[in-house]
Amino acid sequence: MKGRRYLSDRIFRGIFLFAALFAAAMIVLLLVFVTVRGIQPFLPSYPERQSILPFLTGMRWRADQGVYGVGFIIINTLVGSILGGLLALPLAVLSAIVIGRIAPPKISQALTTVVETLAAIPSVVYGVFAAGKITALVDDIASTFGISTYGGSSQLAVILLLAIMTYPTMTSLTISGIKAVPLTLDSASLALGATKMETYFKVVIPGARSSIFAGFSLGLGRAFGEATAVSMVAGNALIGPTTSLFERTRTLTSTILAGLHETVGLDYDIRFSVGVVLMIIILVTNAMIFGVKRHFDKKAEGK
Amino acid sequence: MKFMNRLKQNKDISTDSDIISAQSALVDNPDGVAFDIRDLNLYYDDFQALKDINMEIKDRSVTAFIGPSGCGKSTLLRCLNRMNDLIESSRVEGEIIHKGQNINSPDTDVVKLRTEIGMVFQQPNPFPKSIFDNAAYGLVCQGHKNKSFLREAVEEALIKAALWDEVKDHLKRNADSLSGGQQQRLCIARAIALNPEIILMDEPTSALDPIATSRIEDLITQLKQEYTIVIVTHSMSQAARVSDETAFFLLGDLIEFDTTDNIFQNPRDSRTEDYISGKFG
Ligand SMILES: Nc1ncnc2c1ncn2[C@@H]1O[C@H](COP(=O)(O)OP(=O)(O)OP(=O)(O)O)[C@@H](O)[C@H]1O
Ligand SMILES: [Mg+2]
Repeated sequence: MKGRRYLSDRIFRGIFLFAALFAAAMIVLLLVFVTVRGIQPFLPSYPERQSILPFLTGMRWRADQGVYGVGFIIINTLVGSILGGLLALPLAVLSAIVIGRIAPPKISQALTTVVETLAAIPSVVYGVFAAGKITALVDDIASTFGISTYGGSSQLAVILLLAIMTYPTMTSLTISGIKAVPLTLDSASLALGATKMETYFKVVIPGARSSIFAGFSLGLGRAFGEATAVSMVAGNALIGPTTSLFERTRTLTSTILAGLHETVGLDYDIRFSVGVVLMIIILVTNAMIFGVKRHFDKKAEGK
Repeated sequence: MKFMNRLKQNKDISTDSDIISAQSALVDNPDGVAFDIRDLNLYYDDFQALKDINMEIKDRSVTAFIGPSGCGKSTLLRCLNRMNDLIESSRVEGEIIHKGQNINSPDTDVVKLRTEIGMVFQQPNPFPKSIFDNAAYGLVCQGHKNKSFLREAVEEALIKAALWDEVKDHLKRNADSLSGGQQQRLCIARAIALNPEIILMDEPTSALDPIATSRIEDLITQLKQEYTIVIVTHSMSQAARVSDETAFFLLGDLIEFDTTDNIFQNPRDSRTEDYISGKFG
């Protein structure tokens, strides 16, 4: 009897180990594949060899002239994604407070379902919405300032779109974080003469800190990686960086995607290089968010 | 009218001086009474958890609530700082006069009330913050920002809660790193920091070992010089050790309320006697 249980334990351990290794192997494979393809245009053997520095710092992307610079695209991507994420963050936290603490159970359940549904809507649907509605809105806003836009395709449209798209992920992680904060802490706070608002902001939100950071970095990951919908409103500017909210922009993903199937040679290969840049940016950003979180942990928890 | 009922109800057990102090309670809380509870009924939906409770809780003394599980001790304790407000299904009738005001009145400033009436819970529930931030929490919510003021207030509260010597060198450490007994004393310190008049304790030692328990009991005895303390306890010996007066509850009724000596030595009601001698509960 005991022997059988040990055996099945060992078998399951084997299966889990295999699953973990398989996932890790897939990630490594993907990274290696993209990286190997991505460095091709910079190798001496490549016919239209590119130099790394002009590629990374270049402020023009003119495929027609054979000029490929991603410097401004990196800046645009960072600005668009981070502003989009920062716009979504307070909304996500406030919604999560309403859902996790304020709303009566039935309403809270209904709102949770809405948020989860939002998170599951495919990006192309957001894209269609953005191309139809957000761009029109941006155009209206711009015209009240007397600015004309390219049909609303702009940095602002990208920011608004990414705020909407990252909101569900951030909210749903924050909800679970908030629900994990014991209600006994709320009671303790209220019994000390804190108002409900003080309790939410001084006890509940700090207590859900880890989930909020996790939600923010997942959300930012989605923002950086979002291609389809962003391409529909970015307007693919040729030079940059974009300095006005109403100007067209270009992100790393929209650059990879634009005309992908109609192109060959350097114009095709260089998109893998852009992919490598994107991966590095995501890694660095995550590391930075982790650093900020550590800082907050230290400050909030003492020690 | 209600008041007359109350007098009648208590007639056979009250002395003349009781009646006099009860009469003056009509005008204002006389000195010496922290809470005058009058015809208090509390319902959770249809379930009546407290039935016509009438009692006076004395100032600067320790009052113990005893009784079998589910008899309404915690419910009554939560009435005293309006924490039952947080339970949606609860509905309360009757009055609790505190400093001449009925705290059940809708005009009561609940936030202010809770700064004057501290509460300590059954499970130690420090915030996941530093020891200092825990002790300073109430004051910070009151809008105190001055660092040196906070430092002094925290030190004083921790000294009163008999925790200072153990934590003075690492106030920045997370409160989770403390032992259960230390955490509970931190929770007491957190309440004391607001300089309340009254401290409510709901089975404050039930999660603690005997040594930590006796430290908290010593602390209660010290604190009663300055504070009115109401404590819910399942331990007869604890009630006997720390309290001046004891109230025995059964199924939502206040069965007997008297000096602790009388309750434990000559209970008038046979149910009280059965309970304290361990026949049920
Ligand atoms: N939030 C609530 N909703 C509904 N009923 C409740 C609630 N809290 C308590 N009750 C009921 O009210 C009655 C009194 O509960 P209370 O917690 O005051 O008892 P207690 O004397 O403190 O018991 P214990 O010694 O077990 O802590 C119980 O029957 C309980 O089931
Ligand atoms: Mg209780």
